[in-house]
Amino acid sequence: MSETSNIDIVKKGLGKRYRAEKRFRIYGICAIASSLIFLAFLFISIGSNGYTAFQQTFIRLTVHFDPEILGDTTNRESIASANFPSIVKQSLSMMFPEVTSRSDKRLLNALISSGASYNVRDIVIENPNCIGKTMQVWVPADDDVDMLIKGHINREAQEGERRLNDKQLGWIEQLEKDGNLKKRFNMTFFTAGDSREPELAGIWGAVSGSFFTMIVTLVLSFPIGVAAAIYLEEFAKKNRWTDIIEVNINNLAAVPSIVFGLLGLAVFLNFFGMPRSAPLVGGLVMTLMTLPVIIIASRAALKSVPPSIREAALGVGASQVQMVFHHVLPLALPGMLTGAIIGMARALGETAPLLMIGMVAFIVDIPSGFTDPSTALPVQIFLWADSPERGFLEKTSAAIMVLLTFLIAMNALAVILRKKFEKRW
Amino acid sequence: MSAEKKSIYPDKPELQFENKRKFTNKREPLVDRENRKTVGQPTVENPRMSCLNVNVYYGDKQAIHDVTLDIGRNEVIAMIGPSGCGKSTFLRCLNRMNDTIDFCRLTGTILLDGKNIYDKDVDVVPLRAQVGMVFQKPNPFPKSIYENVAYGPKIHGLVQNRAETDEIVETSLRKAGLWEEVKDRLNQPGTSLSGGQQQRLCIARTIAVGPEVILMDEPCSALDPIATARIEDLIDELRENFSIAIVTHSMQQASRVSQRTAYFHLGDLIEVGSTDQVFLNPLHQLTEDYVTGRFG
Ligand SMILES: Nc1ncnc2c1ncn2[C@@H]1O[C@H](COP(=O)(O)OP(=O)(O)O)[C@@H](O)[C@H]1O
Ligand SMILES: [Mg+2]
Repeated sequence: MSETSNIDIVKKGLGKRYRAEKRFRIYGICAIASSLIFLAFLFISIGSNGYTAFQQTFIRLTVHFDPEILGDTTNRESIASANFPSIVKQSLSMMFPEVTSRSDKRLLNALISSGASYNVRDIVIENPNCIGKTMQVWVPADDDVDMLIKGHINREAQEGERRLNDKQLGWIEQLEKDGNLKKRFNMTFFTAGDSREPELAGIWGAVSGSFFTMIVTLVLSFPIGVAAAIYLEEFAKKNRWTDIIEVNINNLAAVPSIVFGLLGLAVFLNFFGMPRSAPLVGGLVMTLMTLPVIIIASRAALKSVPPSIREAALGVGASQVQMVFHHVLPLALPGMLTGAIIGMARALGETAPLLMIGMVAFIVDIPSGFTDPSTALPVQIFLWADSPERGFLEKTSAAIMVLLTFLIAMNALAVILRKKFEKRW
Repeated sequence: MSAEKKSIYPDKPELQFENKRKFTNKREPLVDRENRKTVGQPTVENPRMSCLNVNVYYGDKQAIHDVTLDIGRNEVIAMIGPSGCGKSTFLRCLNRMNDTIDFCRLTGTILLDGKNIYDKDVDVVPLRAQVGMVFQKPNPFPKSIYENVAYGPKIHGLVQNRAETDEIVETSLRKAGLWEEVKDRLNQPGTSLSGGQQQRLCIARTIAVGPEVILMDEPCSALDPIATARIEDLIDELRENFSIAIVTHSMQQASRVSQRTAYFHLGDLIEVGSTDQVFLNPLHQLTEDYVTGRFG
């Protein structure tokens, strides 16, 4: 027997133990710090690129609603075909009477968005009495002007290297000096559909498309997924078949989403002949993709309900169904909801399968139903990111911000629901 | 064995260790340890339940070997034995709780009032209303105290309206000796009670359905001595109206609450007899080993 007692040995080892603990803590802090840095970098770069998209440059025109130019404006159809572009051009040349040559006029008109005539038309539709009168109207500037005002086009650069020439710069400075050019909140971005012109493009079409797609996904995948999980977990006999099903569900959860897109293309579009680019089909594909996630999460939630609760229910003579629906399900529901919301959030951000079923098309109209052609938020981001115009760059980042807001809201909802419904036992 | 060994019956001074020794000296040689046939009297007259040649298997492993045992009316029968000997398994066969385990298999007959509960035409739902169960760990539903007791009567259609439910809740809680403690907070969750109260709540929940037999699987093993004493008193009172089969690892408890005792060993029913006889004058060497604390 040695002289040293046990406690001395223990004390000798203590330093090493504490060092190991400290090391581990440092690793943990490093891991968290680095992920936070990446996250912050992501948010900052998106935010700094995108925040400018929430403002837009407008030009104030003094519009004379000349019935001679407009022609017949007695009913809706004739208003739609009335000559509003000429009205806009006329008010511009009234502002700059010195511009006379054809090519200069074209340059001048290029400062105003091609959508300006629609703004003017909307005023007439809303208020037919304005015919023959003169009004001041703020119309969106062209995206090049917008970019210049936001500082993305260098005024000092050589004339040939910028998209606006010296004459146009002069007119813009004139407008600014007269207070006829201003940055205002960009409502269009939140209310319009897609457009070829950056200053007219908005995300509302994509948001609606995503909304309809998510509704279809939720309505189908949550009940089906929960029912499948309950059956597999609570009622099915554990045998070779349930093992095979379980393995397959786990595999399905790992299948790349593009494969589900191809499946949707082959089955829903080609075999069942469903409409292309429709949120209905998008929702069906997303359902296929989300189902395994919901089933797995729901089964885990059911498994985590303590067996003592089941025994208690069976012990007083509850049937299997009563046990599940009265006791197990209420306890498992928060976990199921969390799984469903996380699955939905994944589906909301999914792009690849939608490309396969045609939801990538350029669609200007805002979808109003499940079978209207539409696109979705992540696809819109993809489309804008792919566009050459400088104006779409900030739109892309802004759309990402909107998508992230939805995702964060959904995940927060998952946390809140779990906190709210969680019961102690 | 030291001579000063404490009595295992502290509350029965007449059964001190010395008495027992004298008693043992007079009796016949014990049945050998290798003999696993049940000794004693496993049957009673006019039984509530009777088990005939019951074998239970978990997959290929046999957990219960050929057990024949009756449960009488208005009696408490204690099942004792070293852990893992199949007491819980046997108890759970009596209300078919083992049906929930896919790979659990049973052969033999278990009669309840003369009807084999393992017949094809027997429905387990009413069976479990007739043979209630109280578990080792108190397991109230995560609902209110009231809901806990009212749940059984509700699903079995024993109550039609609120007044009837109130009444059955009150009488059950009274029978379980819990009414005075909880009557002012029936809407609080059952899980907010102390362990002993929770277990009495579980007993109230069981008797609310009006069973004939109550199975208890180590109902006091998670409780402190005071709560245990209350439950033991309660079991004694309940005997008037119910047959009770209780599994316990505490020999004192078995001797305090039961009239008959069955000793299990590695899946065999070794000995059955009146509680006094089994503890004072066991016929089997294994029983003697266990009750004298030489084993288990
Ligand atoms: N669910 C189960 N699956 C497989 N074996 C089991 C199961 N439950 C109990 N057993 C086995 O059956 C035997 C008896 O167990 P049990 O009845 O719980 O013993 P006791 O209650 O007397 O301690 C043990 O060997 C145990 O391993
Ligand atoms: Mg046990």
